[in-house]
Amino acid sequence: MDSLLSAKLLRQLEQFQLLAQRRAKSSARGERRSRSRGQSVEFADYRTYVAGDDFRYLDWNLYGRLERLFVKLYEEERELPVRIFLDASESMTFGQPRKFDFARQVAAAVGYVALCGFDRVSVIAFPDRPEQSVVRGALRSVRGRKSALEFFRNITQLSAGDGVNLNEALRRAALEARQAGVAVVLSDFLDPAGYEKGLEALVGRGFQVNAVQILSPEELNPSTYGDLKLVDAETGSIQEVTFGKYRLKSYQQTVHNFCQRLREFCQSRGIRFFMASSGTPLEQLLLQQLREAEVWG
Amino acid sequence: MNFLAPAAIAFAAAIPIVIVFYLLKRKRVVHLVSSTLLWQKFLAETQASSPFQRLRHNWLLILQILVLLLAIFALMRPYLAGEGRTGRLRVAILDASASMMATDVQPNRFEQAKADLEKLIDGLKGNDQLVLLLASAHTEVKQSATTDKVALRRALATCVAMETPTRLAEAFKLAETLVKNRPESEGPEIHLFSDGAASGLDDFQNKNLPLVYHRYGKHSENAGITAIDVRANPANARERALFATIANLSTNARAVELELSFGNDVVETRTVSLSGTNTQPLVFVAPQNQDGVFTLRIKNEDALAADNRASIVSLIPQPARVLLVSRSNRFLEKALRTAPNAELTIVPALAEQPQNFDVVVLDDVSPTVWPAANVLAFHVVNTNLFSSWENAKTPPVVDWKSGHPLLRFVSLDNVQVAETLAIKAPPWGVGLVESPNTPLVVAGELYRRKVVWVGFDILQSTWPLRISFPIFVANAIDWLNPSASRNAELMVRAGEPFRFPIEQPISKAELTTSDGQRRTIPVEPGARELIVGDAYRQGVYRLSAGTNDVTFCVNLLDAAESNLTPREELPFGKYSKVTATAVKRANVELWRWIAAGALAFLLFEWWYYHKRTA
Repeated sequence: MDSLLSAKLLRQLEQFQLLAQRRAKSSARGERRSRSRGQSVEFADYRTYVAGDDFRYLDWNLYGRLERLFVKLYEEERELPVRIFLDASESMTFGQPRKFDFARQVAAAVGYVALCGFDRVSVIAFPDRPEQSVVRGALRSVRGRKSALEFFRNITQLSAGDGVNLNEALRRAALEARQAGVAVVLSDFLDPAGYEKGLEALVGRGFQVNAVQILSPEELNPSTYGDLKLVDAETGSIQEVTFGKYRLKSYQQTVHNFCQRLREFCQSRGIRFFMASSGTPLEQLLLQQLREAEVWG
Repeated sequence: MNFLAPAAIAFAAAIPIVIVFYLLKRKRVVHLVSSTLLWQKFLAETQASSPFQRLRHNWLLILQILVLLLAIFALMRPYLAGEGRTGRLRVAILDASASMMATDVQPNRFEQAKADLEKLIDGLKGNDQLVLLLASAHTEVKQSATTDKVALRRALATCVAMETPTRLAEAFKLAETLVKNRPESEGPEIHLFSDGAASGLDDFQNKNLPLVYHRYGKHSENAGITAIDVRANPANARERALFATIANLSTNARAVELELSFGNDVVETRTVSLSGTNTQPLVFVAPQNQDGVFTLRIKNEDALAADNRASIVSLIPQPARVLLVSRSNRFLEKALRTAPNAELTIVPALAEQPQNFDVVVLDDVSPTVWPAANVLAFHVVNTNLFSSWENAKTPPVVDWKSGHPLLRFVSLDNVQVAETLAIKAPPWGVGLVESPNTPLVVAGELYRRKVVWVGFDILQSTWPLRISFPIFVANAIDWLNPSASRNAELMVRAGEPFRFPIEQPISKAELTTSDGQRRTIPVEPGARELIVGDAYRQGVYRLSAGTNDVTFCVNLLDAAESNLTPREELPFGKYSKVTATAVKRANVELWRWIAAGALAFLLFEWWYYHKRTA
């Protein structure tokens, strides 16, 4: 746990609660307001008494005034499913510090805030790795603050590798979700096949999507120059480039355009977008960017 | 258009090599990246399995091929047949005389002149020709007309200064013949690299030589020995008197420290104070009991070392054996008896060749056989001497050469002559005493024998009654005495030939020069004299020829050379002169700088390319 988040950061995160923009639709009871009527302290509405209703919910004051029987309805409080989609492809193993390590820390922080808020947390790492099925299965559904320790331990055991189709992975995860909730996608989004369909699938499923793009400092500002033979870690394809300092600005502009395109896509779909370098302090993302964007508060 | 070296087209084989270099791929560094997605813009090639790549449009390749083609074209040496403009001819005269060794400029005038001449060579354009003449006592063609700068530089490197006087007239004559018939369009030029210490250029007064005068030197801080002679001391015949002239050529007064040595022994040291631009004759007296060499040195350092030393061979004088052929002439007889260092024999007539006599005096007696000795003849004519003659009455004495050794201390003011033989001045001698129509006294050398001819009978004149007569006779005996003239014969000016008569046939001779080097002088069979023509360094030389060993001295002894004052103008007669160029006219070629700039640009391009990709 220490390797993921510091104790100080955990204490700060305990004060936060995920802010849901939509009512919870989960069937399980929780502490989130929902559109369902049930038992709580929050008054919701009246309805005419029908035979069989519980006399304890009759509004006797109203009966005294109108001589008609009405039953008081209360809002049902449900849990908020928080699903964290963690890109565990080969490309996430790059950078110093590694992008995947950074992503795991963010996932742990988001999960911890959700667990503290009595929300159900699911961490879906893709691509699938059979040898990690136990760990990944344990992360499918975690609830309650007391599960945090186990939650952190499992996240720590996650590893990255192999290639992935981001669109396909997100689309399948959207379909598999029984209830929509808050979705946090942690990825570098460097997929030649794109990311649009995957994110659209999450939005279409009703998730409140938060996309966090994580890039390494080397990707933002490369320091290797010369005549290079680039080998794609995921696809194995080889590209020959001649790269010098004089082309650094052009490269940075390319990266900026790529990130800007992703940002504009997210804004058009109501997705909150965050971009972070794996080299920046974790607190800057968690305590500033996410808080200012009212992901939690 | 034709080509001088068409085989150079073979260099075109280099073009495919250049193209192959562009086909070859550069070796690239393998670099693992998370994704190549961000690198699409910088994509060079999608696949890299072969060492070759597709030939793409590349300006650098085109430029390189273009440069290569131009280089091949140049190597083929193209030319256009037809009338081409010939280059200009320049004749460079490099003064290599002693004054050019002056060190008033560093390292010395001669080296500076060589450096400027090298610039002139560098500045020659393609077809310009240059002739290199080295002028000292003689003019030497170091390089005939050529456009080959390498040959010119090589010839220039062999030029060395010599301790000789300047004889520029010879060089100008040669240069004139080279440029004389050149058309004006070719613009021939004569470049003189000198300090201007030259005389005798009057012949070129009206030649209008296209001369560019490059002057060298700053000042004339110099003192030198300009004359030296040795003879018996008039006051004491057993001593030798050495006469020398010291000149201070600078404008400041200076004290000159002199040292006279005989062989290796110092005889006398003396300090002489000389005012600016002044000369002073000096007499040193020294006992001498054997033949040897007197050397006079100036011990002060000055700008020119070549004139600070002079040597002269001094031989113990031998008495002259004089044969007087006279019917009766008491005046002459008495004068001969009083002449120093003479042993007199008198005969009334000369019927056969006299033996063992150094001087024969003919007093109005025509010999049957002309004596094979030096002759002093009074009122004698001979077809050997003159082609024609006649008598002249009362010829007045109008002029005489008082500077000649024969007339030293001789005054002919009050001499009258009743009758004389009138002749025309012969080619073998010079007239020493002149009357309006005929020379009265002639001195010269005929058939390697000295002759002094007096045209009148002294008894038909008032001369025997004058004090000048016995002085003249004494001078004549001294001048005609072979042993007395040996001293003068054993001293030559630097650059002048030394002649040594060969009595017996020899096969070879060996010369030891002043710097101790020995070399053999070839002698042609039947040669009657040995000539050393390359004594350009002053000092004492020793010549070993058969059984004869002779020592002779080479000296500068030239006041014009010792005067180091750089001449702004070079006089050609009274009315013509050439002023030194203020600016050294030497074209400086720029192609080296342009080539260096191109190379620098190429290096910069190379560096910048690698800086961008590294």
